[in-house]
Amino acid sequence: MLLSLMIFIPLLGMVVVLLLPRESEELVKRVTLIFTLIPLALAVYLFISYDRSTAGTQFFHGPVPWIDAFNIQYHVGIDGLSVTLLLLTALLGPICVIASWRNIEKGIKAYMALFLLLETGMLGFFAALDLFLFYVFFELTLLPMYFLIGVWGGPRREYAAIKFFLYTLFGSVLMLVAMIAVYLNSNIVNGVAEGARTFDIPTLITLAATQGHALADPDFQVWVFVGFFIGFAVKVPIFPFHTWLPDAHVEAPTAISVILAGILLKMGTYGLVRVNMAMFPQGLAHFTDGIGFWGNSLALLGFINIVYGSFCALAQTDFKKLVAYSSIGHMGFVILGLAARNSEGITGAILQMFNHGVISAMLFLLVGVLYDRAHHREINGFGGLGTRMPIYTGITTLAFMASLGLPGLSGFVGEALSLLGAYDRFKFLTILSTIGIVVGAAYFLWTLQRVFLGTLNPKYEALPEINGREILTLVPLGILTIVLGVWPNFAIDMFRESVTNLIDVLHAI
Amino acid sequence: MVVSLIRIILLCPLAAFAIFGLLGLANRRFPRQDYLSTAAMLIALACSFLLLREVVPSPEAHTVDWLSLGGVTFSMGFYLDSVTVIMLIVVTLVSSLVHIFSMGYMHGDPRYPRFFAYLSLFSFSMLFLVVSDNLLGIYIGWELVGLCSYLLIGFWFEKDSAANACKKAFLTTRVGDVGMFIGMMMLFTKFQTLSLYGEGGIFALAASQLTTGDMVWLSIAGVLIFCGAIGKSAQMPLHTWLPDAMEGPTPVSALIHAATMVAAGVYLTARMFPILTETSSLVIAYVGGITALVAATIAIVRFDIKRVLAYSTISQLGYMMLAIGAGSYVAGLFHLTTHAFFKALLFLGSGSVIHAFHAMHHAHDDEHDHEHADDHEHSDEHILGAEIPPDQDMRNMGGLRHKMPITFITMLIATLSISGVPFIFSGFWSKDAILGGVLGRAMEWNSAHHYILFGMALCAAGITAFYMFRLIFMTFFGEPRNQEMHDMAHESPKSMTVPLLILAALSLPVVNILWFNDTYVKPPPQPHLHAPQHAYVSPDSNIGGKGYTVSLFGVSEAAAAEEEGGHGTDGTHTDDGHHGHGPAHAIAMVLSIFVAGLGIFLSWLFYHRRTLSAESVATTCRPLYNLFWHKYYFDEFYDGVLVALTVWKARLFAKFDGSVVDGIVNGVGFVTRDLLAAFTGAFDNRVVDGIVNRVAQVTWAVGGRIRRIQTGAIQTYLFVVLAGIVLLILIFRAL
Repeated sequence: MLLSLMIFIPLLGMVVVLLLPRESEELVKRVTLIFTLIPLALAVYLFISYDRSTAGTQFFHGPVPWIDAFNIQYHVGIDGLSVTLLLLTALLGPICVIASWRNIEKGIKAYMALFLLLETGMLGFFAALDLFLFYVFFELTLLPMYFLIGVWGGPRREYAAIKFFLYTLFGSVLMLVAMIAVYLNSNIVNGVAEGARTFDIPTLITLAATQGHALADPDFQVWVFVGFFIGFAVKVPIFPFHTWLPDAHVEAPTAISVILAGILLKMGTYGLVRVNMAMFPQGLAHFTDGIGFWGNSLALLGFINIVYGSFCALAQTDFKKLVAYSSIGHMGFVILGLAARNSEGITGAILQMFNHGVISAMLFLLVGVLYDRAHHREINGFGGLGTRMPIYTGITTLAFMASLGLPGLSGFVGEALSLLGAYDRFKFLTILSTIGIVVGAAYFLWTLQRVFLGTLNPKYEALPEINGREILTLVPLGILTIVLGVWPNFAIDMFRESVTNLIDVLHAI
Repeated sequence: MVVSLIRIILLCPLAAFAIFGLLGLANRRFPRQDYLSTAAMLIALACSFLLLREVVPSPEAHTVDWLSLGGVTFSMGFYLDSVTVIMLIVVTLVSSLVHIFSMGYMHGDPRYPRFFAYLSLFSFSMLFLVVSDNLLGIYIGWELVGLCSYLLIGFWFEKDSAANACKKAFLTTRVGDVGMFIGMMMLFTKFQTLSLYGEGGIFALAASQLTTGDMVWLSIAGVLIFCGAIGKSAQMPLHTWLPDAMEGPTPVSALIHAATMVAAGVYLTARMFPILTETSSLVIAYVGGITALVAATIAIVRFDIKRVLAYSTISQLGYMMLAIGAGSYVAGLFHLTTHAFFKALLFLGSGSVIHAFHAMHHAHDDEHDHEHADDHEHSDEHILGAEIPPDQDMRNMGGLRHKMPITFITMLIATLSISGVPFIFSGFWSKDAILGGVLGRAMEWNSAHHYILFGMALCAAGITAFYMFRLIFMTFFGEPRNQEMHDMAHESPKSMTVPLLILAALSLPVVNILWFNDTYVKPPPQPHLHAPQHAYVSPDSNIGGKGYTVSLFGVSEAAAAEEEGGHGTDGTHTDDGHHGHGPAHAIAMVLSIFVAGLGIFLSWLFYHRRTLSAESVATTCRPLYNLFWHKYYFDEFYDGVLVALTVWKARLFAKFDGSVVDGIVNGVGFVTRDLLAAFTGAFDNRVVDGIVNRVAQVTWAVGGRIRRIQTGAIQTYLFVVLAGIVLLILIFRAL
């Protein structure tokens, strides 16, 4: 019940915001902030009271019958992985509201309402235990995102929004087909239909591991795996489905970029873990067993993301686009870690999801701070800001260092574990992937130099230092970056058992 | 007690930095960050001395779980043995002295508090690296010192040369670090742990599990770990960042880029000693030997006083690597210690000279504002980057010994020490221990490789004496070359000269007494090191052989060899020896005294008596001179080939991404839209479930309506969506 409350409070907030008069902008912002702070409080409560010693899902609500005709149920619950991502989502909510406080010039009311709808979609997605519900929430994020980019975005916002929308839709259509295939096969045992069909994820996981069940058929698993995989791959994004990301990021307003990088990309990798890995372990094995081309294909995609994303980032001169491409590179570590199928790799991948959410959120907020002042993002157009904005420079350095994987900060742990795990199975690809570590350092340091070092560009002699509100959005993320870098067990405690459980499933085949 | 002392040592400097960082967020400063940081360092120093008494014969590790997965746990902990304690003392001592020196040297800098905060962060990271008992902890400290080095090289980041140098340092060392990380992955995959010590540690597992069939694998892992050391300790071919790192303030050069951080590579290699094989040892020794020789030759032709010292550092680090690669564990670490003191002294001394010239500049530029900030001329003078700043150019110096007597005397002591002038200077003993060790191994194994390495080391020793005295003669002797600058020069304030005097005292052997105690520092066994078959020497052989360890003061029966007898079935590797073997030691000592004397004598002829002319030699050996002057063209190769290739590749990828990958996407989009647009009108009313139609619908909706979207309309949309959701729920519930 608590969980459902948390999911739908932002939706309630949306209704409230829509009922407020359009003129009272401050009120709209405050109400939105409150309706994002409540889920945060609940998420913190869930995080604290989550029983770390078991792998099972907790805080169930349901299953409550929803659409009886198709045996679709309202069923939510969380395990270690989802509670971590729920916390991240709930944390970024108020941060984004605060970050949007001053720089959304038109239609603040609609903006905030859409944002709250988006938050419900994201929270629901991470908690859904029914495949259909999961899909509904997945799609539910699409609509507000489309408008948020398309209306409040930069000059090419329409192009970017359409591209984002169509791309994701293309992926989710394949996912829908795969989902229906799973549903239709969910009651077939040894070729005979018995009992009711189901969308229930825990049930489906059990069925897919049952000898003789249609879902356990290796060929079936491979095809369904591909369907879901493409759906999620667009979201992650995995090469070659990534080109919507730089456009969407560049055009989206700051807070929306934060959500995009911080949460939406994680929906893709979360889906991979929740559905592709847990439900179709034989399908996964086909793409990660290290035999032949297909057996290395998932790791290969991870490698391509890392190296390709990093090199593309190195060539960017738009600050935001650089950060966008760096996201592609960093998500590659998640894919590589998942492909490893061992505890180091999967733990590393999950940590990387969370840490990338925190760090990329910081990076986009920082880009936003600069953009709000200078009204451009051309890296070569700055220079010497270190003398003018020391605090901003310090925080940016922290975020860059975390992102380039400096030990002691959170980015390192996920990356290192993913690589350690992957090395066990894909030695050659993992060694090649380490190129990304050097290139990652190169583009961040080069950016640092071009923007902050050197003599101060006379154009920016009067650039104001980062203000208190902006620091407020960055400090919680900075603290998380340091805490998780120094004490990674803090996060790993949450999902250690879930990962062990998942590995048991993967090894059971 | 031990653990709490180590905690205090780590926490003091960390707290000093944290206070700076936290107050910085509120745009405030602790009133005296310099006192705070220095006090933190002095406390750490005192605790390090207390630890000296605490070292027990069997080293202990204290660990906590840092990162626990289902099956694997990475623990973090401290490991304390005699080497750790000596390193702790060296780091805290040099760091404290550099802190004090900086109060004078950095006085008036606009970022003065920040400088001390960075020094604190550095000290913490370095100390963490030193006490870590596992590879992951070492790696964490390793990268953090890299960060501090980056921040401090770029301390005067307004200068483009400094901004370039700090980036170069970070990236170059990171290349090595990636190698180290791959080595760690290899070890982890094999042993499922990154802890080094104890029953479940890598060393114990490697000793018990590995067979001769694993030696190639272990050699590769060893060399990969050593890659990290190549980067951090500026060994060939990753050495080019260190000379550029001289863009940082001189106290930083002394602390980080001479005494401590760059020596971390040597420390790491020494820590990995138990898993070094014959092949990896030889690779290490050759890298060290070549670096020692090549860097020394480059130093001969430099005119920038700091660059001479930088190449000298590279060369001396090569010496230490050579020692460890050749099995002279104790000698390598001994040299690390002595070098830390005399090289810190040389850098601080050069800082004192530069400071004297600086102050002159101020007086010259602005008669009235004598005390004013140093930053202005830093940003102005260094604009040209590669040009030598006039206050560091030895061609502007000369005759300074009368003006700056304390600086002169202390630097002379350090120079005598580094040149290996016999008996009363510590550098002689440590260098001789290395030479003796290498020659000892050569004779014992009858190995041509080690004779070659000994030859390299000996040449490098001679060249070192030559270029160091060249520095002394050019700076302190002769007539002033730039009278105007000379007139204004003066001795530095007490905060700067006192650290110089202390460091000078530390260059005397008596202070390094621990190294002469055979039982205090003992080399760990090397179970995987087997002497080459052909070179097998009977244990009874009179050169080396089992049962003999040679100390600096004579041959004695060695207990160490017998203790390690269990590992040493063939008896050839156990006697590593403390400081070389009897005859080897004597031969090495005579030869080293000879080459040092020769180097100093030639230097005197060239740069003091001027009987020989450096210019004419340079003209006669033009190609060789060019090679040295251009630093063997490493920078040209890296900048012109590697960096250019990387950037070209990045642009290519980005172009590919924009035109090909995205081009396909846009192409598909156009085709879909155009095709579907033709059908939209006809099919609009016939809504059928299906993929094609869905895409069409969306395309139509998106393409047609987005232009009309106004903020007011959004709210209508939202209500429609909301109503839709409610309706859906109701309808489906009814079904």
